[in-house]
Amino acid sequence: MSALIIDDVAVSRGAGPVIQGVSFTLEQGRVTALVGPNGAGKTSLLDGISGVAQISAGTIRIDGTPIEKLSRVARAKQGIVHIEQGRAVFPSLTVRENLSLTARTPAEIDAALARFPELEKRIDAPTALLSGGEQQMVVLARAFAARPRFLLIDEMSLGLAPVVFMRLLPIVSEIAEQGVGVLLVEQFTHLALGLAEEALVVASGQVSFQGPAATLREDASLLHRAYLGGAAA
Amino acid sequence: MLQGALAGLAAGGLYAVLAVCLTLMSRLVRVVNFSQAATGMFGGFVAVWLVTETGVPIWLGSVLGVLLAGVLSGVIGWIAATWLSEADTTTRSAMTVGPLLLLISLSFILFGNKPQPFASIISGPAFTVGGVVISQVTLVTVSLAIVVAVAVRILLTRTAIGTRLRALSERPTTAELLGIPSKPLSIAVWVVTGVISAIAIVVVAPTQSNDAISLAMLIVPAAAAALLGGFKRLDLAVVGGLVLGVLSGLVAQIDEVSLIRNFLPFLFIVVLLLWTQRKEVWDAAR
Repeated sequence: MSALIIDDVAVSRGAGPVIQGVSFTLEQGRVTALVGPNGAGKTSLLDGISGVAQISAGTIRIDGTPIEKLSRVARAKQGIVHIEQGRAVFPSLTVRENLSLTARTPAEIDAALARFPELEKRIDAPTALLSGGEQQMVVLARAFAARPRFLLIDEMSLGLAPVVFMRLLPIVSEIAEQGVGVLLVEQFTHLALGLAEEALVVASGQVSFQGPAATLREDASLLHRAYLGGAAA
Repeated sequence: MLQGALAGLAAGGLYAVLAVCLTLMSRLVRVVNFSQAATGMFGGFVAVWLVTETGVPIWLGSVLGVLLAGVLSGVIGWIAATWLSEADTTTRSAMTVGPLLLLISLSFILFGNKPQPFASIISGPAFTVGGVVISQVTLVTVSLAIVVAVAVRILLTRTAIGTRLRALSERPTTAELLGIPSKPLSIAVWVVTGVISAIAIVVVAPTQSNDAISLAMLIVPAAAAALLGGFKRLDLAVVGGLVLGVLSGLVAQIDEVSLIRNFLPFLFIVVLLLWTQRKEVWDAAR
């Protein structure tokens, strides 16, 4: 099993670091929840891992190989797929075209669609015409078709009705069960912790809790303290 | 008068080819390339120099000139993809004014400011319709505009590389996160459009004003034509180029209005801008 190792990473934007001193290991087949208040630096950390932003300190390795100097395209080829905030579809492309960007064969498109039967009847529709939930399904299906080793998901629930989000959440678990390491940033903390084996809480740009997700699920006061920046690792 | 209008079709074909290239650049690499015609002009001038000074055959000089134009366009594309990959369309477009001025200045230094003795690659009448002669140059440029527009449409809608290019144009960062290599694809678009523009310019240059300024400033009628399609639609870009060419030919035939021939593209642009913004209120339009 491969592992994505984040070691003492900092990401800066403009004047100074948005998040710093982050170290953890994302193992294949496991879900790690990354939660924390708005502005804590969760999205910046994901950007730093995938190459959208350059990290200003630390190292990122896959199986011992440093990747922090690689371009985002090269990191994608190393198996890192980053689902950005919002609905990252290509609006004028049809569902099939969106999936074909990552699927290598028609069989892989079929396999991705098998998880989202709702999309089959919209397969040749431009994704701009789909509902928000359907668009997020396209994004997830496209990510799945990319056969990632590590999947970074940023606020998948943003702008979605809870019932739609609840439909999508089990798919994340299924993807992880196939041997993908999932780093899940989510505003619905309790849902993310319910899905994850490991958890990181970041507050004010630093990790305030790191450990089993079950610990936070069982101790609400610990979660509250971590959200307020109290070190509880 | 009909002969005059059809004579304008040759220039219209050239405007259409350049407008298609501008539209492609705008759609795929988010830039209005003001140096689109200048790279073709410079390649054409080098072709003329090769033919007249070194004695290479016209076809070989033309091929080398067209290839040089493609390389120059690729270099500008490399600059945009390397240092301005995250910049907005306005900034990327403004950057291309630099190469435009550089290439005009360089051509003055190397080749002087006089029209160049382009030798015709294609000449003579192609056929006659109702007593009106259609030249081979007209036939070639109009056909080139249509073929390029159709080929590009097929490429973008029917091929994997076209899908990737469209994805890149819509969400470049997301496309890169999926492993789509934006830099080589963007540079390829620059090179291909540079080559196509240069082919059209080398074909038409012997039949019209061919000093550096006149050729480099073909960008103005081409931009007017591309504006008809909103820098998005290839078919309207072709129509815009041909209409502009025919109008120029017609106006040149009428003494009372022949003076406005040089201002026609500007009038075209102003009318189109007013028309497209006719329903906008002041705040929304700006």
